[in-house]
Amino acid sequence: MDQDLVIRAQAGDRAAYGLLAADLAKRFLATSRRILRDIDLAEDATQQALVAVWRELPQLRDPARFDAWSYRVLVRACYAEGRRTRAWSPNLRLLPADEPADHGSMDDVILRDQLERAIRRLSVDHRAVLVLRHYADMPIEQVAQVLDIPVGTVNSRLHHAMRAMRAALDADARPAAAEATR
Amino acid sequence: MTTERDSRTRVVLSWLREDAHENAERVLLSALDEVDLTQQRRPRWPVGRFDPMSSYAKLAAAAAAVLVVAVVGYQLLPGRTGPGAPPTAAPSPSAAPLAVGEFTSHGVEATIDARGVGDDVTGTMTMSDTGQDASVALECGRTTEGGLLLIGGLVTDSTFTEWFPAGHRVGIALQPGSPVKALWYIVLPGDPPLQECQGVVDAFLAEGTKLNEGLEPIEGSVDIGP
Repeated sequence: MDQDLVIRAQAGDRAAYGLLAADLAKRFLATSRRILRDIDLAEDATQQALVAVWRELPQLRDPARFDAWSYRVLVRACYAEGRRTRAWSPNLRLLPADEPADHGSMDDVILRDQLERAIRRLSVDHRAVLVLRHYADMPIEQVAQVLDIPVGTVNSRLHHAMRAMRAALDADARPAAAEATR
Repeated sequence: MTTERDSRTRVVLSWLREDAHENAERVLLSALDEVDLTQQRRPRWPVGRFDPMSSYAKLAAAAAAVLVVAVVGYQLLPGRTGPGAPPTAAPSPSAAPLAVGEFTSHGVEATIDARGVGDDVTGTMTMSDTGQDASVALECGRTTEGGLLLIGGLVTDSTFTEWFPAGHRVGIALQPGSPVKALWYIVLPGDPPLQECQGVVDAFLAEGTKLNEGLEPIEGSVDIGP
């Protein structure tokens, strides 16, 4: 992240923030979609986070920590969206229209179905840890910093989340998934 | 078993990292429209100097801060007890010392000699940073239930116009401890001058928990009493 842009945006330079936001928007949308499992919720969370980053940016005391701080803002927006829409959409959009539909065989479809169901059963807390660690590639310590929770809690949530996701791949779960997608 | 577990982990991670080809442009444009209508929330304390040219100045300030700490530390070695030490200003020697010392907080070098009890505070405070200076006549104070000491006053003389312009009321929050933590109440661009010193205290209190986030350990020493 260009620290000069961060400093200029902190000082109220909207053009500088426009450049920052162009980069943030892609990362925010990709991350929030993986946490919220719904593109509409993810777009709302991303927009809210982009505005919140602008509004709160002068309060960031160390521009070098912009990345972690901005993710923190995003995760808060995801929590807010999660609370606002407690009834998670039951429909599984395995292959949304904007995704390439060349993922191959029925086995792949079933696999994705199982994984999607598994991650939706996780709380937003657990999804956030999983996504920040394994999608955003953050070290455990940074995940703890972003979520403002102890490192031990990150490890615990990560362990729980990964165990649940792996369990979804157990062979005995496949037939149920196949039935569910018919 | 281990191999199986690793293989399942790989599948999960691979799925998690798949490209989803989100189109962020529409969200970005909507957000920027909203940004155009949104004012930034400016903190009531310094968050860093925005001048990208000030790296060398920061280096010099850091070196100066080290020197201040060394000098102050040397002066305080024999066992300073507060009232007995030579203050940089002695506005009212008979009043009880409330906060006396020399320190650096948020990059600002400062001296404070605040005396009094409760809301009735007198004394002086000076602030300087990279050749800019300001002097404050202290006028009011408050000690919160949590032990935080809030002190405000009127800037009487200043070349440090970015944060402490003359004619405005500013302040400092001091949290006792080792080290003491501090937080400036600075003037934001466009702020009208506060008519009463109590406005500084009220503004500090209005920050609520945000106030604690702004507190930073000082370099130097401030004796907080009584």
